[in-house]
Amino acid sequence: MRIPDEERALAEAARGGDQNAFAGLVRLHQRRAYLVARAIVTVHEDAEDAVQEGFIRAWQALDRFDPSQGFSAWVNRIVANAALDITRRRKVRTTEELSDALQSPFRDPAQDAELKSRLGEALAELPERARSVIVLHDIEGFTHVEIGEMLGIPGGTARSDLHHARQKLRELLKDLRG
Amino acid sequence: MTDELKFPGNAGRDRDSIDESLVHLIRDAYTPPGGDAYWAGLERRIMARVGSDATGDSRWWNVLAPWAKPALIAAAAIFALASVINQNIGDSDSQVAYDSVLQSVTPDVLATSEELSSMGRGTDGATLSYFLSH
Repeated sequence: MRIPDEERALAEAARGGDQNAFAGLVRLHQRRAYLVARAIVTVHEDAEDAVQEGFIRAWQALDRFDPSQGFSAWVNRIVANAALDITRRRKVRTTEELSDALQSPFRDPAQDAELKSRLGEALAELPERARSVIVLHDIEGFTHVEIGEMLGIPGGTARSDLHHARQKLRELLKDLRG
Repeated sequence: MTDELKFPGNAGRDRDSIDESLVHLIRDAYTPPGGDAYWAGLERRIMARVGSDATGDSRWWNVLAPWAKPALIAAAAIFALASVINQNIGDSDSQVAYDSVLQSVTPDVLATSEELSSMGRGTDGATLSYFLSH
């Protein structure tokens, strides 16, 4: 894996305690980290909390970071763990919350409200891990191995979860797909 | 700005993948709030916490942290010294107690014998001798 020179330099400097360098790393990686967190917690506010918590943990653990490895993969794992901690604290995630999340004001209001609602319900029906796997793989494009590392499961389990999650999602939305 | 939102995932799509329309819908729903202002704000909040964490180096437990090892060694030495002193004090206390018992018992016994013998010399002594002999 080729680590961009800019990222490597920032990571080295941040390890030495340079906060500006760490801010550069935050700027580079916060969006992807947010997407990882959002795939796990589903709700914007929780995802934001997980990103903040993840970067703080990363800052505190920088002495254990190997700059020859990618900072992105490392910090995404930490953010994923922070997101998983949030889901453990808030075990109950209702269908309504997911539907609300899907109808966030940040999206195109012209989209079909019923479709969004049904999609929210379908995603809520999926087991938590299956939902995370399907979003991380099919939407964010992570590999099974990367997903396994983030969620603390073997890559093969991530693959199997993905297969079952897709089947379940198709089944739940088959009447919408005409 | 980074190009990380190019979603490299399409390279990983396969025949089993969910419909593209669903992908778009979910992606749309999960897309973070747009605008550089939001990301700048999030970065500021993160760095504010990093900053407060960094200044935490001057907190008292961090200042004292380098002294932890010497303090432990000193505490262990004091404990050992205290144990030795305590042991010595304990020994001398025992000795004093032992001596005091011996010293207090012997004269009393002697005194009682002397009293008895002196009592035996008087009128009461005859009575006492009578009681003791019966």
